[in-house]
Amino acid sequence: MKELLKILDKDRMNDFFDSIQNYGEVYGPVNGTGSAHTFKNVKRFSEVDLNYTRTMIPPKKYFIHPEEVIFTFDKEKEMYFEPPNIDKNMVLFGVHACDINAMNLLARVFMEELPDKYYLERRKNSVIIGVNCIPDEYCFCKSTGTSYAQDGYELFLNDIGDKYLLRVGSLKGSEIVEAHSDLFGEAKAQDVTEFKTREKTRLASFTRELEMTGLQDLLDLSFDDPVWDEYGDKCLSCGSCNLVCPRCRCYDVQDYINLDMTTGERVRRWDSCMLKEHGLVAGGHNFRPTPKERLRNRFNCKGSLREGMTNCVGCGRCTVFCPAKIDFVEVMKKVRGEI
Amino acid sequence: MITKNVLEPAKARITQIRRMTENENLITIKFLDRDFLEAFRYIPGQFVKLGIMGVGEAPISICTAQTSEPGLELCIRNAGRVTSAIHNLKAGDLIWVRGPYGNGFPLEECEGSDVILVAGGLGIAPIRGVLQYTLLNREKYGEISVLYGVKCYDLMLFKDDVLDWFRKGDSQGVKLYLSYEDKEDKTCYELECERDDRCTQGLVTSLFSKIDQPSKNTVAMIGGPPIMYKFTVTELENLGLAPEKVFMTLERRMKCGIGQCGNCIVGTGKSIKYVCKDGPVFSLWDAINTKGMI
Repeated sequence: MKELLKILDKDRMNDFFDSIQNYGEVYGPVNGTGSAHTFKNVKRFSEVDLNYTRTMIPPKKYFIHPEEVIFTFDKEKEMYFEPPNIDKNMVLFGVHACDINAMNLLARVFMEELPDKYYLERRKNSVIIGVNCIPDEYCFCKSTGTSYAQDGYELFLNDIGDKYLLRVGSLKGSEIVEAHSDLFGEAKAQDVTEFKTREKTRLASFTRELEMTGLQDLLDLSFDDPVWDEYGDKCLSCGSCNLVCPRCRCYDVQDYINLDMTTGERVRRWDSCMLKEHGLVAGGHNFRPTPKERLRNRFNCKGSLREGMTNCVGCGRCTVFCPAKIDFVEVMKKVRGEI
Repeated sequence: MITKNVLEPAKARITQIRRMTENENLITIKFLDRDFLEAFRYIPGQFVKLGIMGVGEAPISICTAQTSEPGLELCIRNAGRVTSAIHNLKAGDLIWVRGPYGNGFPLEECEGSDVILVAGGLGIAPIRGVLQYTLLNREKYGEISVLYGVKCYDLMLFKDDVLDWFRKGDSQGVKLYLSYEDKEDKTCYELECERDDRCTQGLVTSLFSKIDQPSKNTVAMIGGPPIMYKFTVTELENLGLAPEKVFMTLERRMKCGIGQCGNCIVGTGKSIKYVCKDGPVFSLWDAINTKGMI
């Protein structure tokens, strides 16, 4: 029988990192030049900094690219062509639980009903390796129920001192463990106990909380609340919150034709519901004409359970990176009537 | 296994273009992809994404009921980047299609009911499909009334169909009522003189005083510009129609048509919906429960 729980000593991390390179290009959190970490292509374990809180741009960027050609076309041949290499193998190393849970929601949007070929192929050919983290003053994933990843990864590393308790989350994950069995030890009862103790401490260290009970109804009751005027006035409609949100996935599509006037590209790129054009239809009518309506729409979208889970994972990015300093939790607390 | 690319459009050819007004053309297209043609089953109220290489795609509602005829008619208003490019195309040119998308009007569920159709402006396009469908299945529906509001005669869409139903509809089992906004419009005034029980100057809502009190077993289906809905549903509520018997088709910005691009989102935390996938047809009960929908 396959074991779904293993031990990986921290002094074997170099070897572990080398072994996962067999499964595709590895992307991991790198300490950038500024204060923010970034997911980047990494070749050596020493490049990776697993001791990070959040990257500015979430790892969704590897599944739905910020900008990507979805088709090239040729008017003379009367054909659309898919770009090559959409099924390239990749390994996402060091992903936090909030981002894994965010990608689980994206998977519902892009991999069910009418699956998006690009997302589906990339996820099918990727390995996600999670790592646990310690919350900072902006994290509230405990409130959104996304501080722990139960699925959506191949392997998950939980720090228990000088070693990791390794949770196996998929068949592909167990195959990786089997192929490199010399790297891993057996998990003992005391390892699980240590994991539980540390998990308890981690959960107790959250300083930011948002009560989620009934939030959907409270948002509905607050449709005409002055809170939207207050923060609509502050909002710059820049769309930063959308770009950094691991669950925002709105996209725009544009065609570009080459100078030969025959060939060209259909490009998909991240869109933002904070931009004026997001609610604009042909003829000039705009369903969300002012920042107030757009901000209200974003908070309602984040608070909804449309995909069976809250559309916010409590990563804190939209608050940290908002140039107008709009605090997500503060707005929701006003919606709830708590402040 | 090869995954189908749902964003890849199918090739079609424009076989006919008919000018309807200064701003609207009726185009007929034929699918050139046999598999796509065979799989293409739709009901009125659904829409397609219609595209041109190098320009882009636009959501266009289907304005016919499906028959054995392989062509598809689409009413194109020259209103944006893509639709103005479509207006520059000629018969014989290629055009690209994805779909059909959306839920469509609940025509099977409404069998056995009297039907009131209300259309304003370009909203006649999906409603024409509904009317064609009910007339093709005439025995399955009770009384059929159509209330169509135009700005003026020149902007009336599907003139041949509309005038035919206006003058000879009774023999086909449909009463068509017409309203026009332009007080100076002579042609519409002549139509009013011809049948003053069926035509009046004013907004489409002024026609509600002309129709008989609807039976308890009546459904209404509405297509029109955003501003029309609130006024129209109030009239229908006053006539005693329950909110789950009133249906309307909504317009929003749509890039994908399949609930992924997020542009068409509407509602609150409690009621978020994708107009493209959950709609574009919603009941009045949906609208009551979804703030910002109408």
